[in-house]
Amino acid sequence: MFLRMENIYKKYGSLYANKDVGLTLKKGEILALVGENGAGKTTIMKVLYGLVKPDSGDIFINDKKVDITNPRAAIKHGIGMVQQHFMLFDEFTVMENIVYGREPRGKLFFDVKKAKQDVINLGKKYELPLDPDRGLNGMPVGLKQRVEILKVLYQDTDIIIFDEPTAVLTPQEVTELLKTMKSLAAIGKSIILITHKLNEVMEVADRALVMREGEKVGDVLVKDTSIKELSYLMVGRHIPNRKVPKVKVGQTVFETKNLSIVKKDVAILDDVSINVKRGEIVGIAGVSGNGQSELVEAVFGLKKSTSGNVIINGVDVTNTTIHNVRDNGVALVPEDRNIHGSAAMATLTENSIMGYYHLDGFSKYGVIDYKASEEFTKELINEFDVASSSTKQLMNSLSGGNVQKLILAREINHKSPFLIVAEPTRGVDIGAMEFIHKELIQKRTNGDGVLLISSELTEILDLSDRIYVIFEGQIKGEFTRENATKEEIGFLMLGGNSIE
Amino acid sequence: MIMAMVIDIEFIAHILNSTFRLMTPILFVALGSALCNRVFIFNIGLEGMMLTGAFFAIVANYYTHSVIISLLAAMFSAGLVAWVAGIFMVKFKGAMLVVGISVNILMLGATTFLMQIIFGVKGAFVDTSLVSIPKVNVEFLRNVPFFYTLLGSLTYLDYFAVVLAVILYYYMFRTVSGFRLRSIGFNKEAANSIGINADRIQIGAITFSGILSGLGGALLSMGAVTMFIQNITSGRGFMAMAAGALGSAHPIGVVFASTFFGLAQTLSNIFDTQIISSEFMKAIPYLATIVALGIFNYTKIKRGGRINNI
Ligand SMILES: Nc1ncnc2c1ncn2[C@@H]1O[C@H](COP(=O)(O)OP(=O)(O)OP(=O)(O)O)[C@@H](O)[C@H]1O
Ligand SMILES: [Mg+2]
Repeated sequence: MFLRMENIYKKYGSLYANKDVGLTLKKGEILALVGENGAGKTTIMKVLYGLVKPDSGDIFINDKKVDITNPRAAIKHGIGMVQQHFMLFDEFTVMENIVYGREPRGKLFFDVKKAKQDVINLGKKYELPLDPDRGLNGMPVGLKQRVEILKVLYQDTDIIIFDEPTAVLTPQEVTELLKTMKSLAAIGKSIILITHKLNEVMEVADRALVMREGEKVGDVLVKDTSIKELSYLMVGRHIPNRKVPKVKVGQTVFETKNLSIVKKDVAILDDVSINVKRGEIVGIAGVSGNGQSELVEAVFGLKKSTSGNVIINGVDVTNTTIHNVRDNGVALVPEDRNIHGSAAMATLTENSIMGYYHLDGFSKYGVIDYKASEEFTKELINEFDVASSSTKQLMNSLSGGNVQKLILAREINHKSPFLIVAEPTRGVDIGAMEFIHKELIQKRTNGDGVLLISSELTEILDLSDRIYVIFEGQIKGEFTRENATKEEIGFLMLGGNSIE
Repeated sequence: MIMAMVIDIEFIAHILNSTFRLMTPILFVALGSALCNRVFIFNIGLEGMMLTGAFFAIVANYYTHSVIISLLAAMFSAGLVAWVAGIFMVKFKGAMLVVGISVNILMLGATTFLMQIIFGVKGAFVDTSLVSIPKVNVEFLRNVPFFYTLLGSLTYLDYFAVVLAVILYYYMFRTVSGFRLRSIGFNKEAANSIGINADRIQIGAITFSGILSGLGGALLSMGAVTMFIQNITSGRGFMAMAAGALGSAHPIGVVFASTFFGLAQTLSNIFDTQIISSEFMKAIPYLATIVALGIFNYTKIKRGGRINNI
């Protein structure tokens, strides 16, 4: 046995993030780590990488007990980690990011020439080529991740931890990453993969470790298990099949007319005319980076549109303030939960009333009513099952998926007639995903309109009453639930033209 | 006609010389400020640190009559103040503005008070026994008036300021240590995630900026004149911060920005003594600071950049 972790305990306040967790890993093995949001997956891996100090427990490598008190020590013992959020310097080049922390040096100076050669050689060796001089700014997520992987490999690590690496990737990028993992395992690297996507587990992993509420509840060989069994182990119940009731469609609640954003003569958003009616979930299908983010920003007032109109409930709100857009009945779950969706250093209560603190019930004469706000926060936490220890906790102490749940809870709870959700289930576990989908359908069934933007085609197909396909800022096609096919939408998403 | 030409050229040499002498104390501190900016520290306490250096240089001077020991005392005292400030800013996560302003107020009070205790005087302290930083001998240029004026009464420390800027340039952009220093300002968390101790680098940069401020202060109290005056820095530390920002925290850019402030002070002095004597002329350097920063930030915003100090 190559790596062994025994009896790891870690407590935050009264909550056990890890409770008597043990783990083993063989050379060349791919171990999947699965479990609900807040189950303690990231925590146990941060313990292994020296970012979190456990209350107790031991780590052995090759049967020798090791002391890992910081990432330096972890790297020295051959352990590297690609974290849930990229740890890269956008201002530096590929080469500078990769050799960071172990830079080759000459007598006095940073040996840039050798560093570049090292990066090129490394890319060749692992078949992950990258231009060492390229800057990171504006680089696609998939390539940034490649930089992260090479960074870890450059440190000569034998164990590589991936924390939800596929959450932000396009399907093609996911396929490529899984291939990379397999080939790394084939040359003797051991891999630990945290993911919520069980099909990925079935595809690459040799073994799966299931965690629930800080404890290890299962350790199964992938060849002996199924998605069904794994999800049962994870959430402790069977996930029911979803039913979408039929409802009557009402008035138009949201509409864009020929909306365009032109930047330096390039149309990022090109003449987009879409609408959402009450009682509808309308999906926008597309590979991420094709104008979805800009569409949301233009509607919400985060970015100025060059031409066209945005109409909410009959009111033209084009290029007005975010405040005005919200007051006219729009709620938003943004794509990036950390930048636009929440404030990391604010408490759960503060985050729960953000955007609505000026409304009755949360404040009076400009003074925030913390008691009422706290009650409201508790309701959200209960209703959406956000794993947390107190409403005064800071947002950045929540696990990734739980941050997402709280933002959704906030936006859904404000009963606005129109809701925009971007990537609502990114990084959430299958139980929570089912719950979020149920809530979205409930909102639509209540007679509100929902605009769903997602790079997960299955999610779009499952939930949407109507689907638009976006490619390079243009709407390439429109489908109803009845006539939508995976094949045709996928074809349009990749830039194919409609066959009519 | 020819006479006028000679006077004009002499006058230009005089202006350049004065600009250089007034620039170097600011340059030392501005280089320190640039280092702090690079590690995402807004060190507003530089003014107080400079004052500390100016004062303890004179104290050590008074007791030892040694230039070297005076300079070491200036660097050590200001470095110590900076180190403590750094601990408060980084380890205890004190608000940088509050810590910095506290340093300024505290050191203004402390030097004024200690001046009375140690020297028994108020306002200013001069003593014939005080030694000054040696000047570079330019007697051999006596026959070339332009260069004689241009390079006259400059200390070794003045030249060293420019050399230091070049050294810092190589340090920042060519060495591994400088590379890591710059990385901290971009993304502290990413640095920590690979096991680089970002806190230590930040405190180190603040301490070093203190040492440099100390040198700048010593140059004020032991350079052109050798004396200590209450609040002798009178805002030069703030000007240096402006120079650090104006020079985009790039050592060579900082040299040019500091020169600009040196020139502003020179002009203010000339107008003050020769043409109109008014309090308004004294305000020129400070006005120049505000205007320059305003223009700089405006163009930066226009270009789509972000202002990253504070
Ligand atoms: N710094 C912290 N302070 C307080 N509680 C914390 C802190 N870090 C984590 N926790 C709590 O520990 C629990 C486990 O968190 P962890 O991040 O390990 O979950 P996870 O399994 O990775 O979840 P996800 O799938 O959502 O990423 C969570 O309930 C979280 O709120
Ligand atoms: Mg996690």
